[in-house]
Amino acid sequence: MRSLREYEKIVGSAVLNQLEQLAENLTGLKVVHVNSTKAGGGVAEILSWMIPFMTELGITASWEVIQGDEPFFNVTKTFHNGLQGHQVNLLPSQIAAYEETNRSNAERLRPILEDADIVFIHDPQPAYLLHLCPNRKGKWIWRCHIDASHPARSVWKYLRPLLEGFDASIFSMAEFSKSLPHPQFLIAPSIDPLSEKNRKLRADEIARVRTKYNLDPGRPILTQVSRFDWFKDPIGVIEGYHLIRKFAPVQLVLAGGGADDDPEGAEVLRLVKEAAADDPDINILLLPPDAHRTINALQRCSTVIIQKSTREGFGLTVTEGLWKGKPVIGGDVGGIRLQVINYHTGFLVNSPEGMTQKIRYLLNHENMIEIMGIKGREFVRENFLLTRHLREYLTLMVGLRRGFASRLIAAA
Amino acid sequence: MSPFQIKDCALIVSISDQLPALNLREFRERVATCSIDSIYHHFCETVLRPTFDDPEFHNDFARWARRGLHDHVLAERLEILNPYEYTDLEDLRKAVLDILEDRLSELSTIPWALHDNQFFFHSATTVVFDTSLTIDSPEHLGPAVSQMTTGSIYYHFWEARRRTPGHTDDFTEWLKGWDGKGEKMIDALSHIDFYYMRLRELQLTLVDLFTDICGNGAAT
Repeated sequence: MRSLREYEKIVGSAVLNQLEQLAENLTGLKVVHVNSTKAGGGVAEILSWMIPFMTELGITASWEVIQGDEPFFNVTKTFHNGLQGHQVNLLPSQIAAYEETNRSNAERLRPILEDADIVFIHDPQPAYLLHLCPNRKGKWIWRCHIDASHPARSVWKYLRPLLEGFDASIFSMAEFSKSLPHPQFLIAPSIDPLSEKNRKLRADEIARVRTKYNLDPGRPILTQVSRFDWFKDPIGVIEGYHLIRKFAPVQLVLAGGGADDDPEGAEVLRLVKEAAADDPDINILLLPPDAHRTINALQRCSTVIIQKSTREGFGLTVTEGLWKGKPVIGGDVGGIRLQVINYHTGFLVNSPEGMTQKIRYLLNHENMIEIMGIKGREFVRENFLLTRHLREYLTLMVGLRRGFASRLIAAA
Repeated sequence: MSPFQIKDCALIVSISDQLPALNLREFRERVATCSIDSIYHHFCETVLRPTFDDPEFHNDFARWARRGLHDHVLAERLEILNPYEYTDLEDLRKAVLDILEDRLSELSTIPWALHDNQFFFHSATTVVFDTSLTIDSPEHLGPAVSQMTTGSIYYHFWEARRRTPGHTDDFTEWLKGWDGKGEKMIDALSHIDFYYMRLRELQLTLVDLFTDICGNGAAT
């Protein structure tokens, strides 16, 4: 397990001192995070470093995962799609399955949740737990990782009363916030620069992965890493690839894994394979959840990173691409807008044609690929590494303990 | 002379109770009634937020006028406002309202933003904490500032203007107790056009300034 001090060479010692000084106000605080999967997806990745680092800073932090069956994850996928704007029907039987799964998890988790000083509930899957812990003594925070700017009415009508009971919410962007009767905070996610997925790799390891997947180092490689999910628009990426192939011999990598809480992935993957139609230059890779080094190598050997989402909470794969010094072609939505700045770190696009045009520009201006890569990496260093993320959680927790005012003087 | 106590601060941003604004008229109404902390945040605390450095705009109001409403004239008029020229933030609010009302009177149609480009009013809580580091003499300012976080730079140089009696920075206040080099430094500090600098740029400028006048030293 890494220590926070190992990040000193990346962010500097003053940033780490800052975390320790803030955390002095939180020693012994009992903090519990609850989500719905231990592996796969950005939330699990964030929690896998956040819990140990909170612990290292003197906080009694733990991570609980709710257990559900297929009907439960079908409902929560409906929530997810509905919050992201798909018109979905929410049936009474689905609501019953959702509440029943939360009820059975509450039997197991109630003692730890009711005893905690602060509980962070990630996304809607475990949100009903709040109503099943009547003797809770701490503050409960709903952390929304989803682009919930235009939720389907049916889903929001059910979820809103559940969420109103929380003491506060956290969103990645103001645009995702909702009308709720409690304080709403803004915290953008982040990446761990020393994780297997983001750490520096030796050139021979990158070359091995490139060879393993039959990628030609002499031709441009375009890569989108993400779950096989409609909102990531993998079919749109393939359409864009076909347009680019008219003028450049590019190769496309669509790499992703499934998440335990995503039952739609298999169907999306089937249709993506159909769209690829045995084109040898389209590499569709279904990777296991622990294939972090492979993803790292694939991103590092890419010429351009794509994240052509049509809805996106934040887009950690964008952050990963920028950290590896690659320009990113991103969908003009959600948190991608925070990271992809036209002509600085990449380009925002709205269609396969837009993707084609911007990649064509980059392939014809190789110096821009390098300049954007340098800017993107520094942008991430300043803003989207885990130290900033941790600092904002600590600041929020100090505020939750002390009461929010425009200015709080922390204890010495 | 007592040593300079190095403090640090961290920010947590929240959504204000105000509804978002979708057009210039709504924006004017919201600016008139939003909290003064919200005005402060959109003009002064922007430098501490995790966003891409926008060399064109230094306050959120000007940025939205350009990127949301696509009103270039309004954006330029708002951008020229320097919040640190106002000792009372209510006067800054009045100046913003004057500009917005002038613009509304000039236009025959109200500029609108797209639905996904509304203006959200924010405010923030700043948690201030002691680093337990001190600076004993002006000679040690340069090296000490070079090791500071951007939070410390913000607290001692920007945020200080909201709380010090002379609406100046903490270094100037502290250097008033030192003759000679202190006076030179105070004079040099007063000439920094800090509002148009990123915090890292300001940090480098301060280090150069302190080092040029006093040379090197070390924090205790």
